[in-house]
Amino acid sequence: MAKVLMKGNEAMALAAIKGGCDAFFGYPITPQNEVPEYLSYHMKEYGRVFVQAESEVAAINMVYGAAGAGARVLTSSSSPGIALKQEGISYMAGSQLPAVIINVMRGGPGLGSIQPSQGDYNQVTRGGGNGDYHVLSFGPETLQETVDLVRQAFDIADYYRNPVMIAVDGLIGQMMEPVDLDNEIPKMDLPPKDWAANGKSGERGKRNTIVSLHLDTQGLEGHNLALKKKYDEMVEKEQRYEMIQTDDADIVIVAYGTVARVVRSVIETLREEGIKVGLLRPITLWPFPEKAFEKLPESAKMLLTVEMSLGQMHQDVRMVNEGKRKLAFYGRAGGIVPEADEIADEVRKLVGGSPA
Amino acid sequence: MKRITILTGHYGSGKSEIAVNLAVQEKSDMLVDLDIINPYFRSRSVRALLESHGVEVAESTLENAAGSDLPFISPKGSRPFVNRSMRAVYDLGGTKHGAKIMMQYRDMIKDPENLDFLVVININRMETDSAEKIVRVIDELQNTSQLRVTGLINNANMLEYTDEQTIRDGEAVLKEVEAQTGVPIVMTFVETTVKTTGDFAGETRPLTRYLAKHWL
Repeated sequence: MAKVLMKGNEAMALAAIKGGCDAFFGYPITPQNEVPEYLSYHMKEYGRVFVQAESEVAAINMVYGAAGAGARVLTSSSSPGIALKQEGISYMAGSQLPAVIINVMRGGPGLGSIQPSQGDYNQVTRGGGNGDYHVLSFGPETLQETVDLVRQAFDIADYYRNPVMIAVDGLIGQMMEPVDLDNEIPKMDLPPKDWAANGKSGERGKRNTIVSLHLDTQGLEGHNLALKKKYDEMVEKEQRYEMIQTDDADIVIVAYGTVARVVRSVIETLREEGIKVGLLRPITLWPFPEKAFEKLPESAKMLLTVEMSLGQMHQDVRMVNEGKRKLAFYGRAGGIVPEADEIADEVRKLVGGSPA
Repeated sequence: MKRITILTGHYGSGKSEIAVNLAVQEKSDMLVDLDIINPYFRSRSVRALLESHGVEVAESTLENAAGSDLPFISPKGSRPFVNRSMRAVYDLGGTKHGAKIMMQYRDMIKDPENLDFLVVININRMETDSAEKIVRVIDELQNTSQLRVTGLINNANMLEYTDEQTIRDGEAVLKEVEAQTGVPIVMTFVETTVKTTGDFAGETRPLTRYLAKHWL
């Protein structure tokens, strides 16, 4: 397929179909409504399931059920809707169920606003549910990267038997960009889902059960440690990031999603002025790409985190930095996207120049 | 351009960007943003720019409330139908759902000869990538708006991937539509950054990206 012009939400929906999504359960919320809208009339063309549930809580429990039966399942929502789904996500992690969750982030807390935000960073990377669990999460920058990750996410979720989240700010959900949905993407070797509770174990008396409840404490700790091993494997294998002009950089901006797009134009402007600035762009939000920070050159004396939230990712940067480099932060919230000029001025101030 | 120019089309076809461009180019008296479908990239988001060109903006009754998606429409939007000395551009929400909103003005239109109902088509959108699909879209838009489509706008721009051929490809498909329906191509928009060797069907107009900023 040649490149077509698509809106982010539609593109993610079509990418999910291409990624082999068998069923979608969701509930409307702006700014992600084009995902269920698109799937509501296209899933049936592929003979697949689309259900608009009565609430987010119902939707995530339908996801739990279908995933437990071995289906490839998708749900999508936006920040406050994801908050409602957190209980179900914790249950899925506990029951080791794969699913893909699209979160098109808007301003918060509470109902906040429908305008774009990255204020869910903590919700995405720490999880709002209970217990020791993690959700592998991506924060892509372009529509092409987003659709590639949505398609891969189903494999990754199946491989780890764990929910995978695609977390984009509202702007990526709403923007138009040419995308190719049939390009080559990495495929994973997946074992058959012999754990699925689909009535097909093939053996009389043998039943697969899907539970997150463990009655004996020893047993639960064993389960916790087994999950931990899985998360350690994700930390080892799944960190993804991009480094842009960091080799000779004196100051490195850390930014993801839409903010990274803005930073790219800032780098051009500042380099013309002789300020050596680079970009470290996390692609996975969890696991946070610690490995990228090890590759930064000695020359990089300062890291500037820029977010559409007020210092959430900056806490991860601080933890990874372990006091090695000077740190600075610049964030906008409430649905405001930082403009290139604002970020450039912030960098100029930090390197001792005056704002242009 | 006619006194009242109403823009419709699929969402993502470039209606709002073109509405802003037309209002600025024509120094219209008013831009009426009737988009109750899209939460982002609406023409009302560049209110300051429009006002600096002397264009009044009519949008929701809740002005400057970008954080809401309540489908309110300012009564100001009906003024151009009543005051026939006003020149206005109407920017509808995408698809037939966005076009339905025109129904409320139907009985107010006293000078239909001064009104254009134009469909913005970007052939790079899957829903309008063939003459057959476009003809169907035109039908739907006419049925729900109760207005006759009077012209087509070729907007085949594809951000940084646009070249002259992209625009010509759009034109070729729209010429088929023109032949089948009798609805003419009235304008072609070409982004100012694209180099072209000649003019296109209808009026060729420059497109400046006011809504989709360049880092997008």
